[in-house]
This record gives sequence, structure tokens and C-alpha cells, in this order.
Amino acid sequence: MFITFALITLLGALGMLLQKNVIVAGLFMVAAFFGVAGLFVLLANPVAAALQIIVYTGAIMVLVLFVIMMLNSHEEEKAQSSRPVQRWVSVALVAALAFGAVKLVLASPGLKALAQSGAATPEAMTLQKVGVTLFADHLLGFEVAGLLLLAAMIGAVALTKRNL
Amino acid sequence: MSGMDAVPQILSGGLQGYLVVALLLFAIGLAAVLLRRTLLMQFMGVELMLNAANVALLAFARFRGGDSQAMVFYLFIIAVAACEAAVGLALVIGLFRHRDTTDSDRAASLKQ
Repeated sequence: MFITFALITLLGALGMLLQKNVIVAGLFMVAAFFGVAGLFVLLANPVAAALQIIVYTGAIMVLVLFVIMMLNSHEEEKAQSSRPVQRWVSVALVAALAFGAVKLVLASPGLKALAQSGAATPEAMTLQKVGVTLFADHLLGFEVAGLLLLAAMIGAVALTKRNL
Repeated sequence: MSGMDAVPQILSGGLQGYLVVALLLFAIGLAAVLLRRTLLMQFMGVELMLNAANVALLAFARFRGGDSQAMVFYLFIIAVAACEAAVGLALVIGLFRHRDTTDSDRAASLKQ
């Protein structure tokens, strides 16, 4: 099961990276988000899986697809200059970063110990547990997050409205 | 090689498996931001990187006995991602109105 969802996630992300058509790339992103939701179910966390599907695939990707269709920019525009040096440097940078980090994760004894000590599947996460933690320990952060969402909403309206 | 004995654990879904998936997801998102020129594609790359952080966070929470503190941080990350989506897409629309393009290379100067 883990391999299936990991492959859906990574192949969806890779398809997004290599796809020329922006709408098809958006649909690949939806596949990747579904794969991530499957991983969350395997992590005994159905709450996060549901939120992942509702917020990312349901809200954010729909918003992105709306904007793509509204601007009618389905294809990537022709490059003004191809910038081969910058492209190769960034490919090398990303590959080195990924390779080094994966090697570090595989070699770490601390992670190995944690994987063994926590191997037993814990109780599934429930909304009740999340709510108690959120409102007992992080009430201020919750309010600030609400304020941030309000500010972003007002900012988005102010940016897109032609004459207020 | 010292990492080779961890490979079966990765394939069966141990902690390292989730972390490797998160790292590769982050690398693909970073590559999308660096290599693609369409702003909307770069935006999707940023979303992928945020998701990679979520996968790593919740994997650590599960292997620490189902810690519910991680869910709180997950909610905050989702809230920030939603704000970023709203403001970022508004900026892309604003750029398209002024320049008639969604290519980040063509938006290299602040003047009209």
C-alpha cells in the first residue's frame, strides 16, 4: 500500500514538472495530492487525509484551474532567452540536494531508532484530539491564523479589483 | 554502503520511507520553481514543497505515538498555503492585466 501511494504521489509530481500544458499539469497535481492523502491514511491520520482532499484538491487546485482558464494561458510562452547555464546549475543543485538528503536520512542512526521504537501503529487521530490540542494549547495561534486568512482575503480583493 | 540495509524498511513504509518520499516531493517542487517559467507552474511547485513538509511532519508524529501537536502545525501550514494561494493568484492576475503575460522572465522590471 505504501509503495502504491508513494508512486502515485511522486509520478503525479513528476508529471506536473514535465508537462507543457498547464491545465494537464494541474490535473497531475490533483493526482499527487490524492497520493499524499493516501499516505496520511497509512499514517493513521484520517483527519489530515480528509483535510488534504478538501483544502488542496477541493479549494486550492480548483482556484488555480479557474485562474488558468480565466487567463487563457494553457501553454508555456516561448522563452526570450534559453539561459542554459542557469538551467543546468539549478538541475545540478536540485539533484545534489535530493541525493545528499536521501543519503543522510538512510544513514542516520537516530531515525533508525525512532522508526523501531515507534513501529507499533498508534490510535487513529480523531477530530476531538485535534480540537482539544488546538483550543487548549494553541488558542492564540489559532486566532492569528484566522486574522492572516482575513488579511489575505482583503489583500486578494484589493489586488484584483480595478477601482475600489 | 551503510544505507543499503534500510532499503526493505523503506519499501514497506518505515519512517525513512516517508521521509524519502517527502524529500523527493520537495526536490520536484523546487525543480518546478527553478526550471519552469510560467508563474502558475512555479506556484504549483511551491504548493508541492509545502505538501512535502506536511508529509515529513505527520510521519514524525505517527512514529512518536500519534502526537496531536503535529496536527495543529499541519492546520497552520494549510492556512498559510491558502493565504499564499489567494494572494499569489491575485498577483498573477494583476501581472496579466498590466503585461499580458504569465511568464516570470517577462516580469523582470518594476516599471511599466
